[in-house]
Amino acid sequence: MELVVKKEIQGRKIILSLKGILDISTTNMITAQFEKIGDIDLLIFDLQELDFIDSTGIGSIIETIYFAREKNFMIKLQGVNELTDQVFETVGLYELLKAFQEEAV
Amino acid sequence: MYRNKYTYDSEQESAGNIQHDKTLQREINLAKNIQSVLLNGKAPEIEGGEVYGSTMPARLIGGDYYDFYPLLNGKIRIVIGDVMGKGIPAAMLMILTRGAFRSAAESTQSPGKTLTAMNQALYEDLRTLKSFVTLFCADWDPSTGLLTYANAGHNLPLYIKGKDPLIEELPKVRGIMIGGLPNQEYKEETIHLEKQDIVFFYTDGIIEAQNKAGELYSIKRLINTLLQTREKNVAEIEHYIMTSIDKFTKGVPQRDDITMVVLKIKKDQADITSLNAPII
Repeated sequence: MELVVKKEIQGRKIILSLKGILDISTTNMITAQFEKIGDIDLLIFDLQELDFIDSTGIGSIIETIYFAREKNFMIKLQGVNELTDQVFETVGLYELLKAFQEEAV
Repeated sequence: MYRNKYTYDSEQESAGNIQHDKTLQREINLAKNIQSVLLNGKAPEIEGGEVYGSTMPARLIGGDYYDFYPLLNGKIRIVIGDVMGKGIPAAMLMILTRGAFRSAAESTQSPGKTLTAMNQALYEDLRTLKSFVTLFCADWDPSTGLLTYANAGHNLPLYIKGKDPLIEELPKVRGIMIGGLPNQEYKEETIHLEKQDIVFFYTDGIIEAQNKAGELYSIKRLINTLLQTREKNVAEIEHYIMTSIDKFTKGVPQRDDITMVVLKIKKDQADITSLNAPII
């Protein structure tokens, strides 16, 4: 089970493309990115090639949302497949993201 | 046997490690026992209805949780939840969640208020520990047949209408997971349960159980299994589903904790007879 994280920097925007499985064995690859994130405006998670995410994986995205709030940048989730979208909707991840983004505006 | 300092130390260390492993194993087994006892408490006896819960952790102990709490006003409060992660860390938070539920159930008047109180109680700890819990909480009133429920990020239970071979999710009610945001109000929904209706509460470990081909047990298989077994009693339904998952996965290691609670309304007038908690 593995995860490949591709990082693309476009000016003050970072795109993190996740491919594979985001679970307890791979979430450290997301939190490890925190130190490498400088002064940016936007972080995009591209989840188009994400095959599976478990609750720990969702926890790592929540942590990133909290980190973004602290460092004052926005987060966007793109390429979310139907199953993952349903899970995010159910746990309230979008609501959490919206609450922080509205707070930032 | 030749011994030098290194081998002696290393053997001593090795012996120490073995002892340490044994101690750890014993403590894990004790923790498993504690969790098992707390989860497998006596289900309330309900005239005219029956409720049954079970859980099977993916590891020795798990982070799934369910509980029943009979209230003095005659209702029964049911909760099911899933702590982020697996194993010992999740199990520790599960015990914390249980304490918060038991305390909140006693002091709050509805499922939504119980979730609000639990979120208030657990939010700081969960944020510090970078974790969260999804919970679904419902009050069933046997005297009126009303099921009132609220949701904190958990999947909706399935509702099996007794008269028809129909299974659907309970009418949608959303709310953010426990530990996500502070000061949350949880909306409530109410439905009327008819005789022989079933409400099936579950955690995602059931529908995400995998077979050797990597296929998921899925909601579709769960619905089919429930349709086949809906005439049975709650314990038989639980057993049938566990067996069905077992047959499907054929020994593939369980990836996530599996938990379910089955509530079934009988033909007779329901009435809770074992009360153990006051309500304010």
